[in-house]
Amino acid sequence: MNPRILVPVLVAAYLVVPLAFQSNGYLLGLIVAALTIAGIAVAWALLGNLGGMVSFGHAAFFGVGSYVSAVLTMKAGAPVFVGLLMGGVGAAIASVATMPALRLKGPYFALAILAYAHIFQILAVQMESVTGGAGGLLSIPRFPTVLGIDFGSKLGGYFLIVTIVILAALAYDAIRRSTWGLALKAMHDSELATRVVGVPSTHLKAVMLVVSAFITGVVGAFNAHFINFLEPDYAFSGSWTVLPIAAAIFGGYRTVWGPVLGALVIYLFDQLLFKEVLPHGHQLVLGALMAGMVLWSPGGLVPVLVRRKGGRAHAHA
Amino acid sequence: MLTLDRVQVSFGGVTALRNVTLGVAEGETVGLVGPNGAGKTTLFNVISGVVHPVAGSLSFRGKPLLKEPEWKRARLGIGRSFQIPRPLHHCTVRENLIVAQRFGAGKADPTRIDEILDLLKLAHKADRDAVTELALTEHKALEVGKALATDPALLLLDEVLAGLETAGKRAFMQTLGAVRDRFNLAMIVIEHDIPTISTLCPRVAVLNFGELIADGTPDAVFRDAEVIRSYTGEAVA
Repeated sequence: MNPRILVPVLVAAYLVVPLAFQSNGYLLGLIVAALTIAGIAVAWALLGNLGGMVSFGHAAFFGVGSYVSAVLTMKAGAPVFVGLLMGGVGAAIASVATMPALRLKGPYFALAILAYAHIFQILAVQMESVTGGAGGLLSIPRFPTVLGIDFGSKLGGYFLIVTIVILAALAYDAIRRSTWGLALKAMHDSELATRVVGVPSTHLKAVMLVVSAFITGVVGAFNAHFINFLEPDYAFSGSWTVLPIAAAIFGGYRTVWGPVLGALVIYLFDQLLFKEVLPHGHQLVLGALMAGMVLWSPGGLVPVLVRRKGGRAHAHA
Repeated sequence: MLTLDRVQVSFGGVTALRNVTLGVAEGETVGLVGPNGAGKTTLFNVISGVVHPVAGSLSFRGKPLLKEPEWKRARLGIGRSFQIPRPLHHCTVRENLIVAQRFGAGKADPTRIDEILDLLKLAHKADRDAVTELALTEHKALEVGKALATDPALLLLDEVLAGLETAGKRAFMQTLGAVRDRFNLAMIVIEHDIPTISTLCPRVAVLNFGELIADGTPDAVFRDAEVIRSYTGEAVA
């Protein structure tokens, strides 16, 4: 990771935002929600950009992660931070169940994984003794206080989610710069050529799916303990798929920070501006914005910003 | 090291290879010739795992290959080039070799990569984009380079000399000879140019309509009546 990008990101994440907004609970709540979407968006972009797969099913991993963590902490007495990790593991295991879909390409993969998302939602409704069924789970435990920091507060939650998002982006960046990243990039347009030099392309894609599901599951688990309730319609809502895709494409899904920037811009503008002006149908503005971005800069917002700065060197940052 | 036993390949109703039995020894160089559509590239596809035969079997250094996917065969030591170059996209020339070495040979050995780049005269293009910034000869060289980076024991070369002018052809042929000697390789070489084949290969096999019709020294094979007929389509006086 280029320190000229990483240092400002860290300063903004751990100093500027907390100092500026710590007393504004409403705004901090919105930023946490935006970062929740950003976390899924990074995971989605990792799968799309490195694995070459367009997923319409990330709501499934988000929902599984949130339920696994909620159930483990409520019924098995697991510590909340353990639940957070296990949420990721649960989603990763769920992604293994979707792997038959890896044989499919393009739109077929996207549709198959959409179907999987519904299967998990139905399971959450039907397994009533574990998940509470359609009624959902209430009073999911909050994050505890560790070393004097109350992670159950809004500010504490902010620090958690911003850390999750930054770690996800760093992991994405590290994979992309590795030999694996090279092979994954090459696979998109020259899969046969990579296979005959020894690249097990299907395995690599499967690993990307697992990594992407893990990140999404952790984000889902975070959200469950932050808002403290769950129900299947909410946990597996299509919004957890659609908003991150919109954010990733708007910000630039071929870049590491594009999905994060896209999520912040889209969600905050929508909630703070469009919703004020157009209480009903404010999503229309989002749609128009998306269409405009795709026409203006198909690579998204980050490539535009990089070009403005005149630095071609960071075009792939 | 490589044994094909009665290999048969069909595409729909068309039989592309019929009962092909062929053996290649360690370090041996075999020329593979035949008219267009004779099944030469299909044979390479069978050996490298891109096409699956409907009947017959093949093994490499005693290991049955039929169930092994392409990438495993590459790791076992079968390297190949494609007739129409297939560079790894979105990668530089050096990155092409790095990926091939990391996955095909399971190691990271920059010295070896530099050696391959030097041997194939690609060093000056090492950091250029492999798809958009190479000339034809360099594309062909990269095809060989990717295969070499996987540490092969057997190299399948599909018309790497085709399309080059005479001087370029001669130079590249010398390079191939040097590569073979340096890395101690067995090679199967598909080539149309008979003088080239005769110089490079002590043994030549001929395919016609999917059947192996001759196998021997270049002198014997190119005097064979059936071989001449398959090329000219005429009866021999």
